[in-house]
Amino acid sequence: MAKMGFDAHYRGAMMVARHLVQRGMEVVYIGNRLPEEIVRTVIDEDAQVLGLSSLSGNHMVMVPRILKLLRAEEVMDRVKVLLGGVVPREDARALLAQGVAAVFGTGSSLDDIADWIEAAVGSGSGAVHT
Amino acid sequence: MSHDEDALGSLAKDYRTTSGIPVEQAYTADDIADLEPARDLGLPGEPPYTRGIHRNMYRGRLWTIRQLAGFGTAEETNGRFRLLLDQGATGINCVFDFVTNRGFSSDHPLAEGDVGQGGVAIDCLGDMVQLFDGIPVDDVSVSLVLSNPVGAGAIFAAYLAMARRRGIPWEKLRGTLQNDFLMETVVLTAPNILEPAFSFRLSVDVVEFCMQHLPQWNPISFAGYNYREAGADAVQEAALVIAHALAVADEMVRRGHPVDSFAPRLSSFFTADNDLFEEVAKYRAARRVYHRMFEERFAPRDPRSSRLRFHVQTSGAALTAQQPLNNVARAAYHALAAVLGGAQSLHVSAYDEALCLPSEAAALTALRTQQVLVHETGVARTADPLAGSYYVEHLTNEMERRILAYLAQLDELGGLVAAVESGWVHHELLGTSYDRELAITSGERKVVGVNCFTDDVPIEIELFRFPSALEHQVETLEELRRTRDAGAAAKAIAELRKAATGRENTLPRLIDAVEAGASIGECCDVFRELHGGWQQPLL
Repeated sequence: MAKMGFDAHYRGAMMVARHLVQRGMEVVYIGNRLPEEIVRTVIDEDAQVLGLSSLSGNHMVMVPRILKLLRAEEVMDRVKVLLGGVVPREDARALLAQGVAAVFGTGSSLDDIADWIEAAVGSGSGAVHT
Repeated sequence: MSHDEDALGSLAKDYRTTSGIPVEQAYTADDIADLEPARDLGLPGEPPYTRGIHRNMYRGRLWTIRQLAGFGTAEETNGRFRLLLDQGATGINCVFDFVTNRGFSSDHPLAEGDVGQGGVAIDCLGDMVQLFDGIPVDDVSVSLVLSNPVGAGAIFAAYLAMARRRGIPWEKLRGTLQNDFLMETVVLTAPNILEPAFSFRLSVDVVEFCMQHLPQWNPISFAGYNYREAGADAVQEAALVIAHALAVADEMVRRGHPVDSFAPRLSSFFTADNDLFEEVAKYRAARRVYHRMFEERFAPRDPRSSRLRFHVQTSGAALTAQQPLNNVARAAYHALAAVLGGAQSLHVSAYDEALCLPSEAAALTALRTQQVLVHETGVARTADPLAGSYYVEHLTNEMERRILAYLAQLDELGGLVAAVESGWVHHELLGTSYDRELAITSGERKVVGVNCFTDDVPIEIELFRFPSALEHQVETLEELRRTRDAGAAAKAIAELRKAATGRENTLPRLIDAVEAGASIGECCDVFRELHGGWQQPLL
């Protein structure tokens, strides 16, 4: 899980991280990073899901860059990219079209996010990595 | 709409305040038998200031109405300032983008998506000159919402250099800097964070400098509001504000300054949240504890040294994206709590805050909410109108007891800075926040429009974007580097490094550096090179 650029609010990301840990998943939180560092961590940790949190609105700049790097590193097909936070509808549509697997905006429940991950990762590569 | 409930539903069966204080069916004199009015309440304007810091409270002076402004470039925000002043605003409340707030240059690779978003971008003295062009800064009070000590000093230095360039003496400047190391190390996150002890030291450098040169400036504002938005409950909010004030006072005294030379200018910033009576009790208890702790630890002679002055912003976290007009009602109750609690100034949050930057209609409604409160409800006619209420006095006593227990716990951990370094404060806030989230998810805690009385109207989020700010700031920085005396700038940065390495106050060196053409980012890089790279203990 990562925050992009200077996005400063981490509470939502931490709530999700805590909840996923409660649900038996392993979460690596790396804080505010450049797209290159985020993608490097996905590879090093062999992550099944990349959670990106956006409250400042920088996702339209940063997410496409991350997706491009994931494709360049040929890991796009083994990681699901989730975007959470304050995401306008048209942004969500555009990013889903570019390869983001799901967007969880304002008002999403923690259980919905955990359920989605269990379903998505379970169908892909087996059990949730703990 | 919700179906099988009647119009109100039923009251939650959990009879506790939001911070967990048990509430009885009714209160009597027995519940406040230990209250000694002369000792514990006094009169308004008299120790222990439970009843407010002014004798005549709002009769003498109404609270200040202060609304936020700041976006895009200095020029764009300057236009907004002029508009606000033309329309009768008495103060300016300037917000900066996260890049500026953290003291990075706008052309930093991480900054691309954030320049000018959610606040104005400032990279150098020239930007600051433009930001306040034509604004009578010797006349209006200016709040610079610079949260993080890493950048607050450098940007404040640019503000002081701007005033000097215009021939305005610093003694005439009135305003507030947030400058709160908990904002930098606990409440918010960013790339390359300073070590808490160093961030704290930088914040006290500003307090020390202002004590010597800016008698009308509030050099720090303990941002309880933001502690609360990050997860704290009312007790934690008040306790952390007081602990922070005590820590600053300790450090200033250690540096050899008598308490009365700086304490009157320490200021605080609280939220006003949903639980109306608990919020009122929070303000009252906080004033009492603050007074008693300052008396006990520092024995000031000036009565102003132990008075807790505070600004209130109504809660953003309590507002919902669902059914946003409900937030007008919420914010009005929040504002009522602030006024019943004796706030010195007030910002009412806009009803669309959970969806976007405030629209004109929402910002105007927020202003009108304040005006209705002042002119129609009559709540400001008398000071501390809830004094003597069995319930409110009981809650005030209980808040005081819990705040004191929390302060004792922080002392045991070695003080506030140590409690931040160990991650204790982070875990406290995240724990409270997570519990509340689960209580909302389970329906144990009701939020209208979110987990009850819901409808199917989709949430429409709207983001303001100012695409031109990045390009403009990159050009500004390029021009700065091209036109400045590179030798002079490098020398000033070297002097700054020397001060930061030793114990010399960093602010005079920051002023020299921005005047010599150093960018804000270059100044703050010095701090990061010395004490950056701290990992926030979040998980």
